[in-house]
Amino acid sequence: MARPHIEPYVELDTPYKKLDLNGFKGSEYKALSLDIDTGACTLKVQFNNGFKRKPGLSYSDMEIFVLEGRIKVGKEVWGRGHHAFVPAGMALGAMQSEPGAEVLLMFNDSEPSFYESDKNHQLALTAAFTSLNSYQDAPWAPATLANPSVASGCMLKVLRYDPITEACSFLYCMSPEYAQDNISYHDCAEESYHIWGTSWMMQFGDLPTGGYFWRPPWINHGAFRCERGTIAFGRTDSKLHNYFHFNPWSNPDENLHRAAAHLYRQRPTLFQWVATDGHNHPHGPDDFEYPHYHDDAQVRHLHGHTPNEIK
Amino acid sequence: MAKRVQDKKPKRSKSAMAWLEENIAEQKLRYKAIVKEMDELAPTRARWYKEFLEICQTRGTNVTGDMRRKIAKHEVPKKPKRKDRVVY
Amino acid sequence: MARPHIEPYVELNQPFKKLDLNGFKGSEYKVLSLDVDTGACTLKVQFKNGFKRNPGLSYSDMELFVLEGRVKVGKETWGRGHYAFIPAGMAIGAMSSAQGAEVLLMFNDSEPSFYESDKNHQLALTQAHVSMNSYLDAPWTSGAIVQPAASNGCMIKLLHYDPLSEAITFLYTLTPEFMQDNISYHDCCEESYHIWGTSWMMQFGDLPTGGYFWRPPYINHGSFRSKRGCIAFGRTDSKIHNYFHFNPWSSQAENMARSAAHLYRQRPMMYDWVASDGHNHPHGPEDFEHAHYHDDAQIRHLHGHPPSPIKSK
Repeated sequence: MARPHIEPYVELDTPYKKLDLNGFKGSEYKALSLDIDTGACTLKVQFNNGFKRKPGLSYSDMEIFVLEGRIKVGKEVWGRGHHAFVPAGMALGAMQSEPGAEVLLMFNDSEPSFYESDKNHQLALTAAFTSLNSYQDAPWAPATLANPSVASGCMLKVLRYDPITEACSFLYCMSPEYAQDNISYHDCAEESYHIWGTSWMMQFGDLPTGGYFWRPPWINHGAFRCERGTIAFGRTDSKLHNYFHFNPWSNPDENLHRAAAHLYRQRPTLFQWVATDGHNHPHGPDDFEYPHYHDDAQVRHLHGHTPNEIK
Repeated sequence: MAKRVQDKKPKRSKSAMAWLEENIAEQKLRYKAIVKEMDELAPTRARWYKEFLEICQTRGTNVTGDMRRKIAKHEVPKKPKRKDRVVY
Repeated sequence: MARPHIEPYVELNQPFKKLDLNGFKGSEYKVLSLDVDTGACTLKVQFKNGFKRNPGLSYSDMELFVLEGRVKVGKETWGRGHYAFIPAGMAIGAMSSAQGAEVLLMFNDSEPSFYESDKNHQLALTQAHVSMNSYLDAPWTSGAIVQPAASNGCMIKLLHYDPLSEAITFLYTLTPEFMQDNISYHDCCEESYHIWGTSWMMQFGDLPTGGYFWRPPYINHGSFRSKRGCIAFGRTDSKIHNYFHFNPWSSQAENMARSAAHLYRQRPMMYDWVASDGHNHPHGPEDFEHAHYHDDAQIRHLHGHPPSPIKSK
């Protein structure tokens, strides 16, 4: 069942625990969500004053977002608002944090792992590496990259985009007095952590600073309000399409049927092809543009053929 | 199938397995607490649904962006008999 | 096989023929495309000087776009740029054209039909009726209504949008020196008639004034150029999504497999659901919002169950 529906969860009053795993000693954590099949997780991590570790790599894609403080990573200094995507097998420089730091730390393929190394693994897909300060170096853009789109007043900074799955990591903000009077659901899982501010959804009530959710596909959320503005870090695990409606009582199964009905009548030939016997290939249809996309760890994960299952 | 770094991951250590078991158990408790909290919100939520459907019929529901559409009375959905659920 | 791939077809030098069907006497036509299963068609029609007919209805959804001249329809006068969508069964007023007119005339469900009546059929979905002058009364907007989008310089005027299939009818324009350096294909059929101007596509060359295409799904088109700009009337039969790429040799089957691969990895749970045994329902999945969408003529047409198949075929 991958990660359960965790929404809403406000972590601020939960105590930190020691993170006693190789490569993380000297840090503490709170689990925000955890995939029970693979160990993939989103953690809030506090690197304590004086935290140090040698150069090394993980066997999972890793993402990090710095909430507070500073970390030295190789020759870079990652401060408030820094986001990095570190592909599995890519060696990062030595890490140390003098004043300490609070970060969101995400492992997409398996539990947190660290192996000392100053070289990349030979299979590491290092071209996917990104590292930038999202507060300083990424522009706000209207959130109309999905259509139908959210109401204006919701803006995005895209931090990472996976061309294979269209999974996206982003900052988003809502203006004060933001309002959107519809109910939404998606084909993808959606995740969010409120860096600052409170927003409201009709199902879950207020989500304040420190509020978090991991929401599986097809689950109703909205209408939406934000009285004084919000800034948050968000992610999806595949393409985000806004299915809007106004039925507060529909359940995920009915929402899925409705989405499939959209496909049936808006992309009829595609629906029929997929629904035809024999097209439920375990590894997906051919793609002349990305002939080897079937090997991608995230794609396998999305279809329940994960490389690092918890046996 | 071509191998990826993830396919070369060394076997999970005992401490990693213990960490997983501990956190999976804690997550179960967290999930239960969330479900309870959301069940307690049900009466308030019922009022929110009512207000929402009123807005959809007066100011309109957002179709895309800021474009709104007033829904007609016959379009207003009816509450089904089953228990309303928001956490799945 | 529905309508064949007609692209490019320049009709200007083709002669008009008499349209000797009930309700169309006194007009001439050229066929631009014709559905061999249902008779649905797009015609260029010339209403001759003095053309007249009584009020009446068709058993097919009908669209009309006025290229030149004027037609009186009931109390309205439809001139250059007028667009109308007439749902099946909706009666329109008496038609006459004193000076004549040239129009694009489209029947979406079956061949041209006309039955005298001054009342709507009891099943007519008259809410879908649209009638406006697209040149005067519709704004140009960015062509970026779909994502990924066409380059800036492609603008559209949306004339008709079907909420069920997301089929659209629109005017579009390309600016002078328009260029877009990719190859596109769609899940939907696409149709276009060049009202004025020339555009170029890498596969088909120049499409000049009077140029037409009906292009079935998953067929490569582009890259794109227009040296002096153009204005055209366009339609799709369902949702348009731009699948861009740069492989000039990919086939229709390869393009469709690639689209399915997108679905597989970008909407994984949806793909798995649809591909599961037993989900190839003849009438499609349930939709709590549009509980009766299965009855829609266009939806049935898209899935090969049209209401008026040509039996004698």
